[in-house]
Amino acid sequence: MLGEEIVLGRRTAPSRVLFGPHVTHLADPHRPRALSGDHVAHYRARAVGGSGVVVTEVASVLAADHPYEDAPLASSCPPGWRAVADACRPSGTVVLAGLGHAGGQGSSAYTRGPLWAPSAVPDPASGEVPAVLSVAGIADVVAGFASAAAAAVAAGCDGVEIQAGQHALLRQFLSGLTNHRDDAYGTDRALLLVEVLTAVRDAVGDDAVVGLRLTVDELAPWAGITPVLASSVLERVAGLVDLVVPVRGSALTVGATRPDGHTEPGFLRSTCRAVRADGVATVLAGSVVDVAMASEVLASGDADLVEMTRAQLADPELVARVRAGRRVRPCVLTNQQCRVRDVRNPRIGCTVAPPFPAVPPTDASVLVIGAGPAGLEAARTLALGGAAVRVVERADALGGLLRDVSGLPGRGRFADLVAWYRAELWALGVAVELGVVGEVPSDGLVVLATGGVDRPGRGVPIATAVRDGVAPGAVVIEDPVGDGAAVALAERLAGEGREVAVVAPGLLVGPGLARTGDLVDAQARLARAGVRRVRESSVVGFADGVVTVADVVTGAVSSWPAAVLVDAGPRRAPAVPSRVGLVVVGDAVAPRTVAEAVREGRAAARELLA
Amino acid sequence: MSVLGEPLRLGSRVVRNRIVFPAHLTDAAVARRPTAQHAAYYGARAAGGVGMVITEEQSVDPADRPYEKLVDGTDPAVVPGYRAIADAVHAHGALVLAQLGHNGGQSSSLYSRAPVDGADDEPDPMFGEVPRPLSDAGLARLVDGFGLVAAHVRAGGLDGVEIQCSQASLIRQLVSADARLRRGSSAALRAASPRALPFLVAILESVRAALGPDGVLGVRLQGDEGFAGGLGTEDAVRVAVAVEPLVDYVNTAVGVATRTLPLIEPPMGVPAGYAAHVPTAVRAAVSVPVLGVGRFTTPEQAREAVASGSCDLVGVVRGQIADPAFAAKALRGGRVRRCIGCNQECIARVGLNQRLGCAVNPVAGRESFATNGYLAASTRANSPFARVLVLVVGGGPAGLAAAVAAARDGHAVTLAERSDVLGGQLAIASRAPERRELAHLVADLAHEARDLGVVVRLRTPVEDVQGADAVVLATGARPALPAWAGGHPRVVDVTDVLTGRVAPSGRVLVVDDGRGHAATSTAELLARRGASVATLTPALVAAGDLAPTLDRERWRRRAAEVGIAEYTDRVVLACRDGLVLDVLHHLTGEVTAWPADWVVHAGPPTPVVPDLGTLDVPVVRVGDCLAPRGIDAAVREGTAACEQLARL
Repeated sequence: MLGEEIVLGRRTAPSRVLFGPHVTHLADPHRPRALSGDHVAHYRARAVGGSGVVVTEVASVLAADHPYEDAPLASSCPPGWRAVADACRPSGTVVLAGLGHAGGQGSSAYTRGPLWAPSAVPDPASGEVPAVLSVAGIADVVAGFASAAAAAVAAGCDGVEIQAGQHALLRQFLSGLTNHRDDAYGTDRALLLVEVLTAVRDAVGDDAVVGLRLTVDELAPWAGITPVLASSVLERVAGLVDLVVPVRGSALTVGATRPDGHTEPGFLRSTCRAVRADGVATVLAGSVVDVAMASEVLASGDADLVEMTRAQLADPELVARVRAGRRVRPCVLTNQQCRVRDVRNPRIGCTVAPPFPAVPPTDASVLVIGAGPAGLEAARTLALGGAAVRVVERADALGGLLRDVSGLPGRGRFADLVAWYRAELWALGVAVELGVVGEVPSDGLVVLATGGVDRPGRGVPIATAVRDGVAPGAVVIEDPVGDGAAVALAERLAGEGREVAVVAPGLLVGPGLARTGDLVDAQARLARAGVRRVRESSVVGFADGVVTVADVVTGAVSSWPAAVLVDAGPRRAPAVPSRVGLVVVGDAVAPRTVAEAVREGRAAARELLA
Repeated sequence: MSVLGEPLRLGSRVVRNRIVFPAHLTDAAVARRPTAQHAAYYGARAAGGVGMVITEEQSVDPADRPYEKLVDGTDPAVVPGYRAIADAVHAHGALVLAQLGHNGGQSSSLYSRAPVDGADDEPDPMFGEVPRPLSDAGLARLVDGFGLVAAHVRAGGLDGVEIQCSQASLIRQLVSADARLRRGSSAALRAASPRALPFLVAILESVRAALGPDGVLGVRLQGDEGFAGGLGTEDAVRVAVAVEPLVDYVNTAVGVATRTLPLIEPPMGVPAGYAAHVPTAVRAAVSVPVLGVGRFTTPEQAREAVASGSCDLVGVVRGQIADPAFAAKALRGGRVRRCIGCNQECIARVGLNQRLGCAVNPVAGRESFATNGYLAASTRANSPFARVLVLVVGGGPAGLAAAVAAARDGHAVTLAERSDVLGGQLAIASRAPERRELAHLVADLAHEARDLGVVVRLRTPVEDVQGADAVVLATGARPALPAWAGGHPRVVDVTDVLTGRVAPSGRVLVVDDGRGHAATSTAELLARRGASVATLTPALVAAGDLAPTLDRERWRRRAAEVGIAEYTDRVVLACRDGLVLDVLHHLTGEVTAWPADWVVHAGPPTPVVPDLGTLDVPVVRVGDCLAPRGIDAAVREGTAACEQLARL
């Protein structure tokens, strides 16, 4: 059903899969608030791959809203919108321009003026108290949405999607958490949304598609938007919109809107069913990453479309592959490369999707030593090009570290990635020999992907602890890295009833999880599991069943009984040979993450055959 | 001031005075190239009298990119930008050097998508990535990179190059690795050949060849890494002596950018000259000129650094960000607008990948902007409106800045302040420990206002003042206690403590629902008076706002010293008589009863917007009365107020 057409207003989308709006940092730094050629390529790839609806990166409707450095600004976007529409039109994809205003969740760093919001409620993330929008200011917002929508449609977009989801002034007006006004916009909190949608519809006419991204559950029932409230709002605006994407989360729960693998895929399904309004196409969003589930949701009638943004980052040809009965490269829901609302402006990527194309046809023979993600990606890429590939793996199964990591909480989908590689290699006829220690031959093309090795240290290396478990008794995990592995191990051990402490040098345990959106939730899970979080500290001694820890700032020392010390410090690269025709990839170069392994596996295949 | 005014020979050039604007990150680059903003920024300090400008680091390797806006000096497209910088600085008679560097393992693969190249495979404490150790061939490639960038520098017309071997540098990492070898326990380790000096010498020879004999060539050396086992002054001296024949001057530094950053850019409270030990030791060992740095915020402090023999040249970064005419005032007299070490707009912004700014100088970081809204009025070609009587209501930083800007524009200005002192929230906040320098801004603005003829009327409520042609409302914000306080007499605001209205003692719980230093500095004040103090915050990190400004480590040491306990992840739900709080641990849902003798609250205040009745003149609101924010917003909006009035 994914691949079936669906009517949206007066347009027809070629499939029921939506590619939702997201921050990309693909802008040209010289024109940071416009859509760039890289944006166009980003959306074109999904349109070619079969997306039914593409929503472009949300553009601010007023210049006073500048939520991140290269946030698109509607008045700078028409040429980019036109290019995206032109690029997607041959595929029949419905292109909607994302339009929004981040309100109190914006940033004052770029405008240097105040944030503007319904009430003087500081945003939990920035702590900044916004200025209160006057009635005249509200009129500017309404006019801004209308003129931006008109410009988008004039540029060739099929319509617009109006942001009242996460990071949205319109949601802030709808919510009792953020709207404490006593004027008409406070006594009727939906008034601004109604005015905006009315003005937008007037501006674009009945021919264009008007979509609405609406938070239907702020997860804050004491004052926030609830599904019941959202239903009544949707009934009010049903006549103005063609498409609704219900989402969840407030400024207090930003991570809940597009969560990582700790949250069950399809988590909004029952809410989506509950808030559906008649006559409006409703989209199920929220970690919809599996084709089977998406198809079942559509068949059940719980939604008319599915938003599969991250799934299409992992595999831009998702719909085309489904139509052809082929396997889809699975999204692993780690959020590590795609969640880029980050002041450093990292360009969007995907943990599992290599950023370059496969290799041109070849008849070379290549030996791949090591079947972790780097070796698997290299082998698949080479085989796709026609190379005769032989993979040898020391262990008795594919996957390398992925096998161990997939047993950790929230990382189960790495097993899906290994399964996908296994099926792909089998279908491509790649010879895989398990339980074989690969030797680098003196000649011939070789990809060396044997992974990293443990660094000599004080405790049990974390890779060993994850794979083999640890001895009985209280556990202390020292984590100088903070990438989440220690947090996951701590959760698993605590879940087994073990007494666990994590000792970390930074302000928080697992600071690297900020990138995945799981940082706050991880703290809560650890706290609830009784894991002791010892911050700004390092282990200075471990002997005779006692661990001694010092505060890295004050030097204050504390100690407690512990049976096991796990060293979650970095691994290191092994000594590797070097010769022409040998390419070393992944952790064997320098231990890093799955994303680098996959990228270098793909790059190695290209380099070898260059 | 004579000692600062003495010219000094640097190789074949002469620097006109002893004041230098040393290298520091600005995040002004676009697409890894220098911009018109760089030229205007450095040019403004040259116009302000500085002897020599050293640009921010220019990387010698495209793969070296720890932060987005690091200039890639290997790209030939940088040359026009260098030319613009050279022209802007030379137009005012100052020298300008480019700093060249490679961050080594103090870097990230976030932008390069390639492994980080380091001296060894030890991960950097901040970036945490395992580097790929550079081979000798790799180092040789980088030597060529230094030469290439130096050639671009010369082509751009700059006067020379400084090689960074200090805060964020592969060279420092190699020096450090060599030092570990020397101190190593095994004979094999001690026998390993040192790599740093040969690398540095090769770089200096390569750069010298590219610059030619008349270019100025210096090095910046690390003299105190600030942690046990780190490099010290003896290491800086050893390297300085070794390279002395190859360089025209030696610059010095303390601190490692990714480990001991507060040493490099120390916050308010750290005394001037805190880093003097390094240049002093180096100067005793070499005969080339030595440059010293160390939080010099006044001309007197800078002069003392040179006069005492600690250094030949004195580096002033934040002092010249705050007042671009620092050097001219140092040489010819005049009061500078002082850097207060708040670090909110310079270090904190740059750390967030945002263009450098300054809390006390709203033009800093925007020098090239045609319509920046905050240009000092006197620099504008045309006054926006005829001389009128401007009434500024409120004598906090926003009001004072507005009064100064309007007076500079040529208007007749009256400033009406309700209380009997100027400074508003700043005057109150400056009473807390380590926050005294906030009062410097009040004093400096008040002096400027007085010099410009602003009529200041204290104890003057707004309704008493009539007859203005335009009004700037800078009435600030007032403390707002949370609903749970319920009018309890022992639940008070931090300002009640700082103004002396109450004197909490016994068990004091300081609840931090706000930003900045309000809760922490008040907690410290009370703890130093003998109270038993705990802080409590809903945030995941205690005193988290102090981290970006590099205040947090000092605060934690002081808090430990006076026994302040810190509690995170907690929200106050209710307050019961006898003073017991119901406190929710929001991560677990657990609620506990929390007895206290006093509760002191810090939270967002409420804007004060007086009713002006039917006043029929333009009115503009600035600072906290628009939305309660920081010093920067107050000064920026106050300074811009006249332009806003002109548009009304």
